[in-house]
Amino acid sequence: MSDEDELGLAQRALAHLEGDEAQATVTRERSLLARFARSAPTQATAIDDISVELLCVLDGHTGAASTNQIDEAGLADAAGRARAAATAAARHGYGTYPGLPKPVPIHPHDGYDSATASLDPSAAGAALAAAFARCADAGLEAFGIWTAAEVTTAIASSTGVRVTDAVTDAHMTVIARGSDGRSGYADATAVAAAAIDAGAVSAAAAAKVSDESPGPLAPGEYPVVLDHTAVGTLLGFLGSLAFNGLAHHESRGALCGAIGTMVAAPCISVTDSTRAPGTLPRSFDAEGVPKLPLVLIADGVACGVAHDTRSAALAGTVSTGHALAPGGSPDGPEPTNLVLAGGDAASVQELCAPIERGLFVTRFWYVNTVEPRHALLTGMTRDGTFLIEDGVIGGPLHDVRFTDSALRILAATEQLTSARRLVSDSDLYGRRHAIGVLCPALRADAFRVSGGSA
Amino acid sequence: MGIRVAVPGCGFGFAATREATKTGLELALARAVAIARALPAGARRPPLAAIPPARGHWASACEVDPFALSLDERLAPLLAAEKGMHGDRRIVRGVAESLACRTITAFASSDGAAFTQERTECGGGISAFAAANGELQRRSYPSAHGGSVALAGHEHLLALDLAAHAPRVAEEALSLLEAPPCPAGRTTLVIGDEQLALQIHESIGHALELDRILLGEASYAGTSWVSPGDIGTLRYGSPLLAISADATLPGGLGSFGWDDEGVAAQRTMLIDDGVVRATLSDRQSGAAIGVASGGAARADGFARQPIVRMTNVSLEPGEAGTLEELIADVRTGVYMETNSSWSIDDRRLNFQFGTEIGREIRDGKLGRLLRNPTYAGVTPQFWRSLDAVASAPAWRLWGLLDCGKGQPGQNAHVSHGTPPARFRDVEVGVLR
Repeated sequence: MSDEDELGLAQRALAHLEGDEAQATVTRERSLLARFARSAPTQATAIDDISVELLCVLDGHTGAASTNQIDEAGLADAAGRARAAATAAARHGYGTYPGLPKPVPIHPHDGYDSATASLDPSAAGAALAAAFARCADAGLEAFGIWTAAEVTTAIASSTGVRVTDAVTDAHMTVIARGSDGRSGYADATAVAAAAIDAGAVSAAAAAKVSDESPGPLAPGEYPVVLDHTAVGTLLGFLGSLAFNGLAHHESRGALCGAIGTMVAAPCISVTDSTRAPGTLPRSFDAEGVPKLPLVLIADGVACGVAHDTRSAALAGTVSTGHALAPGGSPDGPEPTNLVLAGGDAASVQELCAPIERGLFVTRFWYVNTVEPRHALLTGMTRDGTFLIEDGVIGGPLHDVRFTDSALRILAATEQLTSARRLVSDSDLYGRRHAIGVLCPALRADAFRVSGGSA
Repeated sequence: MGIRVAVPGCGFGFAATREATKTGLELALARAVAIARALPAGARRPPLAAIPPARGHWASACEVDPFALSLDERLAPLLAAEKGMHGDRRIVRGVAESLACRTITAFASSDGAAFTQERTECGGGISAFAAANGELQRRSYPSAHGGSVALAGHEHLLALDLAAHAPRVAEEALSLLEAPPCPAGRTTLVIGDEQLALQIHESIGHALELDRILLGEASYAGTSWVSPGDIGTLRYGSPLLAISADATLPGGLGSFGWDDEGVAAQRTMLIDDGVVRATLSDRQSGAAIGVASGGAARADGFARQPIVRMTNVSLEPGEAGTLEELIADVRTGVYMETNSSWSIDDRRLNFQFGTEIGREIRDGKLGRLLRNPTYAGVTPQFWRSLDAVASAPAWRLWGLLDCGKGQPGQNAHVSHGTPPARFRDVEVGVLR
């Protein structure tokens, strides 16, 4: 991008809404992603793109427009569209948006790695080669992705906000698969690509592939050990179902009427923190509000929910820095750096030790909400589901379907590992915005299996 | 602009840039080649299936151009509908939304293709959320997840007449707060066309994507319970099951002139008489099993490379008459409509769906409301239990806006046509 940096572009864009209450957000993505299947590269994607989002605020209404045409004509067109949208909405009375936030100092973080930002394709090549070799050693084929990116976000607003956040992220997923369809999964996410050990990820995936044939498990309630990835998925759903301040205010949230009460086991403490070691640091949210640590559940007691400027105004409080879009998402705010405190178990094996008969789940797949008010979810297990017998992980199981409440599973949690891992989806839809959940593995005494596949 | 290159001795490389200048494009091309060359060599890739070079321009039908209207004109039906849902304090949220999207693409390839396309999508819907006594219920019209969207102009939104349905939608959301839960058990299930569209999408459309069948999507979206050798022999469902993939269907979000590899739009029977006849494929997957591309390569924008996607995958109408006639032949059962929850395993076998509303069926008639209805099944058993498909007048086309697949992720807009249908001996009430 010539000599103009992202903040300079944001200021230039904002100038097209001079005299309005307005915000300009610039996001530049440079990313590299390599996919592989059957131990061969399949698709490789390199992206270099810029989004400019312009937000105009008028009488409590927001109008937004975006473009990647960053010459004056493109910016002027987007500004006109944003202003027209706000004006049209404002013709029908006052809205609920309280106004753009004032500037607040932000703090630097260590979420940027210049070597990762170089997007060296040979790093992708080396990672894939390591995956193919490790899986071949185990008589398996490798499937997955390796990806790295640099994303810079800059916000300039009419209230004086002028902030920039440059971050990097890298991720690798490996699914090791046998010729009969048995599969094992492992992933790793970090700020720096060099922190991802492709060989170790591949070995972990291969270790989840059993030589035995999987057995069935009848529907019912079982003790369960959820590996880190499975725990991360459940917590991610609570982000929208339980910790969304707008849903909470509108009596749609899973913690409605429960703040200050026990909603989980005493060993459960959940925060949202962009500064916890091992997470993906971020300086501010989509409104330029600093992301400060937020206690959501402490020792099993529900403590609060996340807010953006709009939901905070409705609830009579202040933004916690969790806006997902300029002006706030219509669906409300969400925590995107969830952290579940670790426990005292030294390993997953220690979690399994007290279980006479139960199951071990590596990851969930296609989880969806059944009843949002109760955080009731359904989904399948995938890529490594095992029977636990007499305290030891035993033979593989066919994947099972669960239908259970994420909050109920946390209420039934008995022990967690001390070690935590950053769990991050690799779906990366739209403009790249890597997020993750930092969490341990856990054991719960009751997990509801509603079906299975054979 | 996105550039895909096939590098001799290597795989594909793809690079996207907003710099549509000669320098910008040369840099993007260099990045596409560099990443393809940096990756380890895999098994030899078969050449892409040959196609005649596509030339010309294609545009979807658009009677009333949404972008020629003022924002006030476009907002008016939404504001009226949103207002019509309020009046009871237990309605905690009313949503009225519309979409107007125009995509203009230009495509050129070293095969000699050079064409342009213009697609206009319009539509919308409403939802009312009711909450009381720890219960939350949602009711939508004409469907959930963004409403009804078609490859059409603003006339499609106006025809939905959202405001006229707003009071009913709110009343049904309130009634569901007090309704009994859907009982658990096995029974006859009649599925409304909007929910059945998603059932087709998840348990047939995705399962018949050839890249999944060939394990190319195992890293994310998953594989399929169907294998390449099943084509022509696998009994997928009852003889009433006939499924087409038709990229020429007027109004379908999966319609186009050419797919994103330059293959002309086509109509193919995927399943006929309940037996699998073909799959959804692109030039790469088709070549891998020695067949021509099925014309199903689609990308969700310039920064994504084309992958195998659904076009308009539809259940052909049957001869069982109307929805009322389907229900009339049921002594006890459940009717479900409007999707609220969906989940299926990575091989597209084990599914569970929830709908916004259910109704008891007794002695051939609809009875009381049922809240939080769900049903579950296994794909071939479920489709083999299909015993009646409503006739052509009940067939409707439903658009889906959020079909996720690929890495980096891509959202495809697809449509599914279907009438209501009836299934025997289905597990319902799978909540806990």
